Amino acid sequence: MSPLGMGGIVLVVLLVLLSTGMPIAFALGLVSIAALILTEGFDSIEIVGETFFGGLASFALVSIPMFIVMGAAIASSPAGKDLYEALDRWLNRVPGGLVLSNIGACSIFAALSGSSPATCAAIGKMGIPEMVQRGYPKSIAAGSIAAGGTLGILIPPSVTMIVYGIATETSIGRLFIAGLLPGLLLTVLFMIWTIIACKYAGYSFEKMATRYSFRERFQALPRVLPFLLIIVGILYVLYGGVATPSEAAGAGALFCIVLVAVIYRIWKPGPLLSVFRSSLKESVMIMMIIGASELFAFTLSSLFVTQSIAGWIGDLDVNRWVLMGLINVFLLVAGFFLPPVAVILMTAPILLPIITQAGFDPYWFAVILTINMEIGLITPPVGLNLYVINGIAPDISLQTILRGSLPYVLCMVLGIVILSIFPDIVTWLPNLLMGPGG
Amino acid sequence: ADVTLKASHQWPGGKGDVRDEMVQIIAREVANANVGLEIQVYPGASLYKPAEQWGALTKGQLDISAFPLDYASGRVPQFSATLMPGLVRNHDRAKRMNDSDFMADIKKLIEDNDVIVVADAWLAGAFASKKQCITDPASMEGQVTRAAGPAFEQMLAAAGASIASMPSSEIYSGMQTGVLDAANTSSGSFVSYRLFEQVKCLTAPGANALWFMYEPILMSKRSWDDLTKEQQDAIMAAGQKAEDFFFEEAKKIDQEMIDTFKENGVEIVEMSGDDYQAWLEIAQGSSYKNFEENVPGGKELIEKALAVE
Amino acid sequence: MRAYVRAVSAVSRLCGVVALLLLVAAILVVCEMIFVRYVLNGSTVWQTEFVTYAIVAATFLGSPSVLLERGHVGVDLLPDALDGSAKTVLRLVAGILGLLFCIALAWSGWLYFHEALTRGWKTATVWALPLWIPLLPMPFGIGLLCLQYVAELMKLTERDTGGVAA
Ligand code: NA
Ligand code: NA
Repeated sequence: MSPLGMGGIVLVVLLVLLSTGMPIAFALGLVSIAALILTEGFDSIEIVGETFFGGLASFALVSIPMFIVMGAAIASSPAGKDLYEALDRWLNRVPGGLVLSNIGACSIFAALSGSSPATCAAIGKMGIPEMVQRGYPKSIAAGSIAAGGTLGILIPPSVTMIVYGIATETSIGRLFIAGLLPGLLLTVLFMIWTIIACKYAGYSFEKMATRYSFRERFQALPRVLPFLLIIVGILYVLYGGVATPSEAAGAGALFCIVLVAVIYRIWKPGPLLSVFRSSLKESVMIMMIIGASELFAFTLSSLFVTQSIAGWIGDLDVNRWVLMGLINVFLLVAGFFLPPVAVILMTAPILLPIITQAGFDPYWFAVILTINMEIGLITPPVGLNLYVINGIAPDISLQTILRGSLPYVLCMVLGIVILSIFPDIVTWLPNLLMGPGG
Repeated sequence: ADVTLKASHQWPGGKGDVRDEMVQIIAREVANANVGLEIQVYPGASLYKPAEQWGALTKGQLDISAFPLDYASGRVPQFSATLMPGLVRNHDRAKRMNDSDFMADIKKLIEDNDVIVVADAWLAGAFASKKQCITDPASMEGQVTRAAGPAFEQMLAAAGASIASMPSSEIYSGMQTGVLDAANTSSGSFVSYRLFEQVKCLTAPGANALWFMYEPILMSKRSWDDLTKEQQDAIMAAGQKAEDFFFEEAKKIDQEMIDTFKENGVEIVEMSGDDYQAWLEIAQGSSYKNFEENVPGGKELIEKALAVE
Repeated sequence: MRAYVRAVSAVSRLCGVVALLLLVAAILVVCEMIFVRYVLNGSTVWQTEFVTYAIVAATFLGSPSVLLERGHVGVDLLPDALDGSAKTVLRLVAGILGLLFCIALAWSGWLYFHEALTRGWKTATVWALPLWIPLLPMPFGIGLLCLQYVAELMKLTERDTGGVAA
């Protein structure tokens, strides 16, 4: 049978397995082992363990749990509430000030957290009830946080950028910087849409705005200071010659735990334990998917599926932007069903040679890929952020969350279009800070 | 073709990398020999991860690999001798080493693990620094450096460097952010990772190179035994062609590195005979000593290697 | 049956605690490594490897308790659309398929571990750690994951036959 035919069968079997609701990691692993045994004989089970282990045993990957701990530590404190309250006191005269503050807080929090669900939970836990209480439509309250939370993987640090860097052998430090300006661009797009949506929903900004004196505004600032301190600290560790990105994650995690303990006096073992427990849960889930993806990638390569797909796309005699459009549609569809890490590990090694061949910058593509993955986080059936919002705001129905999130998907698509027209938004900062090329 | 063999390596495919070329030559020659044999090449670690190729070869899961032998030194500790500072010195001596007692011992160990050598290849490497040129051991003192392989780490640490380990893909940003002052890796990597943008001074291999790595083309004994005599001969003939090609190219890789770094305004130096001897003394007290103490037959291997003319 | 479920769950939680400690240890060692190199200007020999293997071990040892807490994410579209016995059947099928993979991984991990142990393989670094040490958590953790999976399947059937509520 042709490699593409075998690839088709593997894909169908994988989809059937996934539809049973079994864990994604185990479905990827099971289809791989079955395909290997059928094509290479029973002995091939011997290489499963080594491949799975080899996929995990990489120093660059250790930063994933650590960046998750970093975000979870901050999320365990009232820091998220302080952050958007302080922003609210300054933005309260602006239409939609509170919801803008929440998006802004997501964006700042994203600079402290490597993961999207963590960003979502940290800001949304207090932000959504507050918005609903002040009369904002539930769909906008939930949607803005679901979307704002996705910035966690675009604004550095980012778990998915780490995975991309490993899969494509690109510099993780450079990838981090590349995500910064696009992250701010999306923040602005989200904010613009939110104001329009609020107006459209007939929300009266004037009536709901609380007035704050300048005294009150300045009083809120010291509580934001720790955030700026941590962000500056991490940036210094990362780009000041102290440590590599993997090492910076460890320093950041310890830094955040200590800071949260000192400033918010969370000394008791209970809250700290739950920080580590939730972090462990998320990182075990991600790491098992990484190991299984390694096995899946090995299987597809062994069956020559990967190479055949790459050859097939490469032979497509189309304009490079048509090619990019097709790749985007493909990533979008993959993102509907699979979490970011799985999509990146399975597709990046196939796509990167095609992308660079067509003259696209690998760092620019990393950002486009990441925005596609952000969309996947707020679209069903597998949209981690949707479930997080559902968990922290149980009285808002999944349908309402979805309705609120959909417009932000369009904002992200617009973001991709803008970045395609002005790729310098991605490449300018890394070139400035780290020299051209790379 | 009746039999299809899988060949794997970690370098980019079709981009002119010499090790990829060697594998491609073998694949081409074997196909042209019309012996019912086809070789499918998986470049760029697209099948196995670099270090996992050894286990797959020994088990017969993988047929052919261009494999840096030191990667298997956790399983066969004697293999660290193939990435041991100062044992090789230059390309002409590397060629003479291939037929030495030293390499006979190494190849015996390879065969004991059900793997055979199809073609020999020794690649040279360099040092580079953004602080000061690395020549004698004193010039290394106080520099934070990334070394390729434990034997080099031991020697450099003994010379007063501080070691930071990281994958070679992070060397660039390590230097850029200042985590690293210096690095030590193969000539090819120096060019492909664009390190000329970061460093001030390059120590080219020249006549007195400390860094050489044995990266032969290997074949699984199990796959080999399944072939007909005719097919085996075709592979060995192709291997010889690849080896001859490699020897012609080996020096060109170094020259390409020197040219690229020069164009980018990097100072180029070489180690003198005295520098080289001074490093050997450091190695005697560190990497060689460790190797001799911890590896069965280590002392003899080092002696045999140093005895090559 | 209930005693089995309780016993396995307890062991899984215990391994979860060990995984947690490994994660904490990894964070502390990374910070120590930065300190040694950046402040003391010294060399770091064992830290990178320790941290890497600690996180791998935390993944394998933490996996059973994450299954217990339903933390391994899946696509719940179809199961959520069904109810009653159809849903239970689908859950059982998913569980058995998942168990199949875990058995294969645990078995393969055992083979790898056993080979490393009997042949005295080490890591190819200055530290030269015996390879069986970082490999042990794979057969052990995934083996326990299999047992936990069996427990989850038991809970499913019990619930369906009107046994203990979860
Ligand atoms: Na982030
Ligand atoms: Na989705």
